[in-house]
Amino acid sequence: MATIEIEKLSKSYWVYQKQEGLRASLRGLFRREYREVRAVREVDLTVEQGEFVAFLGPNGAGKTTTLKLLSGVISPSSGTARVMGHVPWQRENAYRRRFALVMGQKNQLWWDLPAQESFRLHQQIYRVDGQRFQQTLDELTRLLGVTNLLHQPVRELSLGERMKMELIAALLHSPDVLFLDEPTIGLDVVAQHAIQQFLKYYQQKRRITILLTSHYMKDVSALCKRVVIIADGRLHYDGSLSGIVDRFSGHKVVTLHLAEGQAFEQLARFGTLLEIEPPKAKLRVARRQVPSVMAALLSAYTVDDVAVEDPPLEDVIAEVFSRVDDVAVDHDVRQAVFP
Amino acid sequence: MNAALARAAGWWTILCIALEERLVYRGDFALGTLMRFLPIVTQIFLWWAIFDTIGHGTRDSANIVGYSFSNMVAYYLLTMVSRAFSSMPGLASGIALQIRSGEIKKYLIQPIGMLEFLLLSRLAHKLAYYSVAVLPFLLVFSICRGYFVDGWPAWDLLAGYVAALLMSFLLGFFLEASIGLIGFWFLEVSSLLFIYMLFNFFLSGHMFPLDMLPAPWDRLVSMLPLKYLAYYPAAIFLGKVPREELIGELWIEAGWVVFFIVTARVAYRLGVRRYSGYGG
Amino acid sequence: MAQRRPSYLRVFLTFARNSLVRDTMFRTNFLLQCISSAGWTLMNVGFYLIVFQHTPLIGPESGWGKYEFFVFLATTWLINSLVQTFFMTNADDYSELIRTGNLDFVLLKPIDTQFLVSFQKMDWSSLSTFTAGVILLVVALWQLTTRPVHPLSISPWMVGLYLFYLCCGVAIFYSLMISLASTSIWLGRNQTLYDFWFYITNFARYPMEIYNRGWGVPLWGFFTFVVPVLVVVNVPARLLAQPLHPQRSLSWQLACFALLATIVSLLASRWVFQRALLSYRSASS
Repeated sequence: MATIEIEKLSKSYWVYQKQEGLRASLRGLFRREYREVRAVREVDLTVEQGEFVAFLGPNGAGKTTTLKLLSGVISPSSGTARVMGHVPWQRENAYRRRFALVMGQKNQLWWDLPAQESFRLHQQIYRVDGQRFQQTLDELTRLLGVTNLLHQPVRELSLGERMKMELIAALLHSPDVLFLDEPTIGLDVVAQHAIQQFLKYYQQKRRITILLTSHYMKDVSALCKRVVIIADGRLHYDGSLSGIVDRFSGHKVVTLHLAEGQAFEQLARFGTLLEIEPPKAKLRVARRQVPSVMAALLSAYTVDDVAVEDPPLEDVIAEVFSRVDDVAVDHDVRQAVFP
Repeated sequence: MNAALARAAGWWTILCIALEERLVYRGDFALGTLMRFLPIVTQIFLWWAIFDTIGHGTRDSANIVGYSFSNMVAYYLLTMVSRAFSSMPGLASGIALQIRSGEIKKYLIQPIGMLEFLLLSRLAHKLAYYSVAVLPFLLVFSICRGYFVDGWPAWDLLAGYVAALLMSFLLGFFLEASIGLIGFWFLEVSSLLFIYMLFNFFLSGHMFPLDMLPAPWDRLVSMLPLKYLAYYPAAIFLGKVPREELIGELWIEAGWVVFFIVTARVAYRLGVRRYSGYGG
Repeated sequence: MAQRRPSYLRVFLTFARNSLVRDTMFRTNFLLQCISSAGWTLMNVGFYLIVFQHTPLIGPESGWGKYEFFVFLATTWLINSLVQTFFMTNADDYSELIRTGNLDFVLLKPIDTQFLVSFQKMDWSSLSTFTAGVILLVVALWQLTTRPVHPLSISPWMVGLYLFYLCCGVAIFYSLMISLASTSIWLGRNQTLYDFWFYITNFARYPMEIYNRGWGVPLWGFFTFVVPVLVVVNVPARLLAQPLHPQRSLSWQLACFALLATIVSLLASRWVFQRALLSYRSASS
């Protein structure tokens, strides 16, 4: 049995459409207009034990909602999900003891107290026995390099240090499944890197299952072999990171170094000109036409150097997201774009 | 001349903005004002029971320090009017917060002083408040008009009443502003403020008519300025202040107003000097 | 890992301990709060001392003389301070948790959500009012038991019942408060929570007989049978001060009713809490 099994999971909710102005608000007292938001639509997903899966998607795509559904914080409109055999939204204690959720934009530690006190509280709530608690705490603080900050009130910690403490709080009861929602948001590069390294090490050592959402491609490329793209509540891609380029980008980028005295004007014939910076030029060429275009180029110009590359991953993903937005209105069109 | 005109225009704008802001939420407001009369209901029943006791079943014949039961109820209703003028919710804590957050700096570069600005916006808020609160007040007073057994006071007392009310606004404002300005020297103003509110609640006459205080407390409390915030206007209205003392008392109240205007201004000046000295 | 339930007592003690640590970090504030609540109690006593200079009783033949009423007043303080110590901050925080969405974290914990929401923080400084209540209660009882005419006699049995009904009173107030706080899930904001709370509990501050006149009767009915705040202080205070000694049977009916009211209030608040939670879980994103 897989650790996480999701089938046709959907979540929609009604949002009160607030009207501007006094008269409209008065009218709103009697007759309210609601709008349906379909945050997650018929998502199917299976995650095996020990996998580290990234959720990618634009803002409001349904990533966080999916994590909240799997945490049992909210209940779905339809569909099923099982995590380690439990239905999350039944919120059985047996399930709640076995996973953790970390949200980069929220904190659950007591603001005015040293993190140590919040940890003790977790120990009580999760009923971790004293010796094991101390061992786990020592190990985690050592790995994250925050041992000397344990006795400082949380409000005096930097954002990065606070995030590390949040992670420790989440891992104190040794969960088997970890949901991370934007854990590195707003952090500087050093803190980001430290948290990535820690997650990588910890996941490999403990073989726990982690679902991660992030806006930073660096997080994703450093940590996850498997990537799921969610946009507009739907699952659009499930596979390896490099597979995204093969799947969604039908283009290659051809970079040419032309010998001196060559005219750049005619290059547009061969493909879309991305930039010209003499003696360098970048062309976007449909993948299928690369061989013929190369042959034509080489016979028409004197070329000092040439390179054929995949477009940068971030550009591809940005393009995928923007395409989703364009066609968000019509389901069938989207099916055509994402067969 | 031009400068004065520009200043007047500025004040007018502040007034208008505050008015608009208030009027947007008038529904909430009217309801909230009506709710504020609820605690009086329990007070009425407490006194009802007490007057029943001492009147041996005929509560109309009983009186406590010259207050009949009707007088007592009328007194509580009238203190609500006084408080509508003299209470300054959020003023002192707002000033203290602005000092602590450094927002006070904006007054140092603007061509209008903080006290003037706050007074104007408070005035505007009060005006807006009355324009909305007048309805619930009228409602409650017309339901309870039976308790005003003596009807309207004579015109001279009424004039004194209005004067006392207007001065209670100024007194309340500059008294609270002075407390808020303590924030320049002492960070924890909020707890201090709570203690002040406590004294205010009991010694302004909000809780009971101050005539009930036994000696020597009555003399002590009557020397404090707090009584002008609730008790005094109500007492004038109910004819509890002898005519011959009225003018003199109003002068004393005016004296207190001047005292707190000076205190607030001096405190502000000293505070700003201290603040810029530290380079905030 | 073994399937162990958390020990609710130990979690509660950790809450209490953490709150104490926090309170001692803001020492000046803590001290000032204690002073102001002491001032508040003193002024209250002052007010009723003045009142009793002008009347022997509150309500003719009601039996609520000066010291009987001080027992009542002390009981009010005890109950209010307990509610403030344990629940006021939490009810406040609850609306905040809903507003910020941090309630999510509470829902994740393998422990009863209502328990966690209700007990997370303690306001230790409110216990100064509790102390004042104990002092006033002892003084008033001393006066009542040593007075020359009809001295009051107090059995351990009565003290036990008093403590029990004190807890019932706290439970009724708690139920009211958590129900009010839960409504912020539907209303979205809760600035008026405090006001509502204050206005409703205000009715509990006096002996219930005072409403037994004129247009007070419907109020009495409403606050006894619909929102039973009148029994909160009245029942324990009555048990101890016995202002209605000759008509004891009435008191016993009231005591039974208070027990019933406590149970129903607790169940009702649990129901409201769960319902509110349900709409939180299906509404938020």
